[in-house]
Amino acid sequence: MNIQTILKAFVDKAVIPSEQASLIADYEENRPFSLHWELRSVLYLGIVLFTSGIGVIIYENIDTIGHQVIIALIAALTGWCFFYTFKHALPYSNQQVKNPQKLADYILLLGCTTFLILEGYLQFQYNVFGKRYGLAVIIPTIIFFFCAYRFDHKGVLSMAITGLASWLGLTVAPLSVLAENDFTENRLLATAVILGTVLCLAGWASEKQNIKKHFSHTYVFLGGNLAVLAAMTGIFSESAELIYSIAGLALSAFFIQRARLAQSLLFLLMGVVYGYIIITYLIFSNIESDDAAFTFGTFYFMFTSVGVVYFLLHFKKFLGIKK
Amino acid sequence: MKKAYNETWIDNLHILNTADHWLEKKLISQEQHETAKKAFPEKFYRPGIFVKIGLFIFALIACSFASGFVSLFLIGNGAGENVSVISLICMVGFIFFLEHLIKNNGLYHSGVDNALLYAAMGAAVVPFVSLFDNLEGWQYCMIMFAFTFAATLRYADMITAASAFLLLYGVLGNVMMKFPIGKAILPFAVMALSAVIYSLVRKEKSTYYQRCTKLTEILSLATFYLGGNYLIVREGNALLNDLNLPFAPQIHFAPLFYLFTLSIPIVYIYFGLRKKDRILLILGLVAFALSVYTYRHYFSPFTPAQELAIAGMFMIIVSAALIKYLHTPRHGLSDEQEGKRRLGNLEAILVAQHLGQTPVEGNNVEFGGGNFGGGGAGETY
Repeated sequence: MNIQTILKAFVDKAVIPSEQASLIADYEENRPFSLHWELRSVLYLGIVLFTSGIGVIIYENIDTIGHQVIIALIAALTGWCFFYTFKHALPYSNQQVKNPQKLADYILLLGCTTFLILEGYLQFQYNVFGKRYGLAVIIPTIIFFFCAYRFDHKGVLSMAITGLASWLGLTVAPLSVLAENDFTENRLLATAVILGTVLCLAGWASEKQNIKKHFSHTYVFLGGNLAVLAAMTGIFSESAELIYSIAGLALSAFFIQRARLAQSLLFLLMGVVYGYIIITYLIFSNIESDDAAFTFGTFYFMFTSVGVVYFLLHFKKFLGIKK
Repeated sequence: MKKAYNETWIDNLHILNTADHWLEKKLISQEQHETAKKAFPEKFYRPGIFVKIGLFIFALIACSFASGFVSLFLIGNGAGENVSVISLICMVGFIFFLEHLIKNNGLYHSGVDNALLYAAMGAAVVPFVSLFDNLEGWQYCMIMFAFTFAATLRYADMITAASAFLLLYGVLGNVMMKFPIGKAILPFAVMALSAVIYSLVRKEKSTYYQRCTKLTEILSLATFYLGGNYLIVREGNALLNDLNLPFAPQIHFAPLFYLFTLSIPIVYIYFGLRKKDRILLILGLVAFALSVYTYRHYFSPFTPAQELAIAGMFMIIVSAALIKYLHTPRHGLSDEQEGKRRLGNLEAILVAQHLGQTPVEGNNVEFGGGNFGGGGAGETY
């Protein structure tokens, strides 16, 4: 199966006339090789490496004369990034904005990251914010939210959400939700569930109000993950089990519901997996004897997993998705 | 080996993917695209990656509890024979369901069939391990290779292809390790085997095995590079000879391995660009990064942080310059966006993971560099 055989099949089945086929063949023959994604990935990795390296360098050189030079450089870089972004910004709109400047997105991202480094440094060295740590976190958060909406940038939006969470003492990064959050504290647990739910609502509202619709995915994913994982921790630790169970199940249902609208099947998966874990836990935590649990478990898992597989095989029918 | 999936549909799927691409480039009209869809039908159930993951997980749970259910009746005293009988029964059952679902539900690598296939493979291997427990390592590898290779021929599954590939290297390594001379020439043997596999796989052109051949190409190119990589050879040599020294000693033919480490990435990248072969190009880039790492591992004037900053700066400058330079296509290369950004949402999530860590902690400790943009990068690449 190469281009020639496909074109031949198209001509044979009268999909396209043969003149067009030869045009397409020419095009495929002389098509330039696109390095788009490779270059973007290298650029993104470069930003990650550069910012982490710079972050450490500053701290290694904290007592030397050179660090002020470094700071000046970083400040200049941050300033230049924001200047560039503003200069090339397109007018605001509620829809998705495509900036023709290819590098604008990345420069904004770099600027936001170096801004964080700069701020952290100033706090460390000159204690700009004194003991008001909350202020130090909420300032970049507000700036990032503004930038995300003004310049239409999902990455900066997720940085803003991260900032908002850490202002409340939480981590939303998907891989560190469980590892880095201290869910032994009930207050934090409740905060996590509430914040996550609010973020989900924000995502739902963006969709409904048609304000930056494409942001809703980021909101729901980060917020939903946080909320459900926190709710599950709450259920397992037996504190206020009922409330957390309701919250967790409601969120799982919300995810499955989202899959109908947003065509994003990631949410379907999250809803099904989280919901399954919660329901299973609730059933088995109420069975007293071990023998009964074992026998029942064998049957339970065999039938429910087949049931879930059946549901997923036919999810379009169940959820009434047309396509 | 008879193929399990409907080949016509697979060909049609490939044709329609090409047609999608042409539609995007406005080479064919919307009507022609519709006509193509009618002329080349395919009825596979392909639910997308996330539902696939869900199906896979739950199908695996179902398989494991089904085997548990069977063993309730037959486990007896838990002797090897009983276990073998159980696993054979399970294997037959899994294969039956696998074939049945492929025929009737139009599955095509949709998660359930993958899970059933792996469960069947696992069940098939159990009797050999439980009944013959005194074979050599390479004999086990050969047996499993036979299974995985046969499964790959029939189901064109990527994981079985990769396992078959790795098992071959297991055989090679296990046999070579028996002789002192074998240990010394192991890197060359690995490179030779990779080269042979790569040239064989390049000959296979059928659409049915397209994913497997691509994967095998990637793996064989990677092992070829790793077999010649100075760091791997030097550290591996120390490991194999149980030298518990603070530094791995210098190896034989060191200049030759320097040459390999330097030249292979360059050759990969060059041919990747020349032949418009994305696999070669990307592996060349990754190999290049590993070569840089190899160099700095042995001779580096900088601290890790300085290296990170320099490498990052270098990457930003080079890629930004190339993006600017290729704004108009040159030398048959372009910076044109191809395909939709299917992973745009994931990119945003990655940013949260890597860059979003706010530096100011709520306590008065000194924050280490890890909290600074790039929590994921740490001290290594």
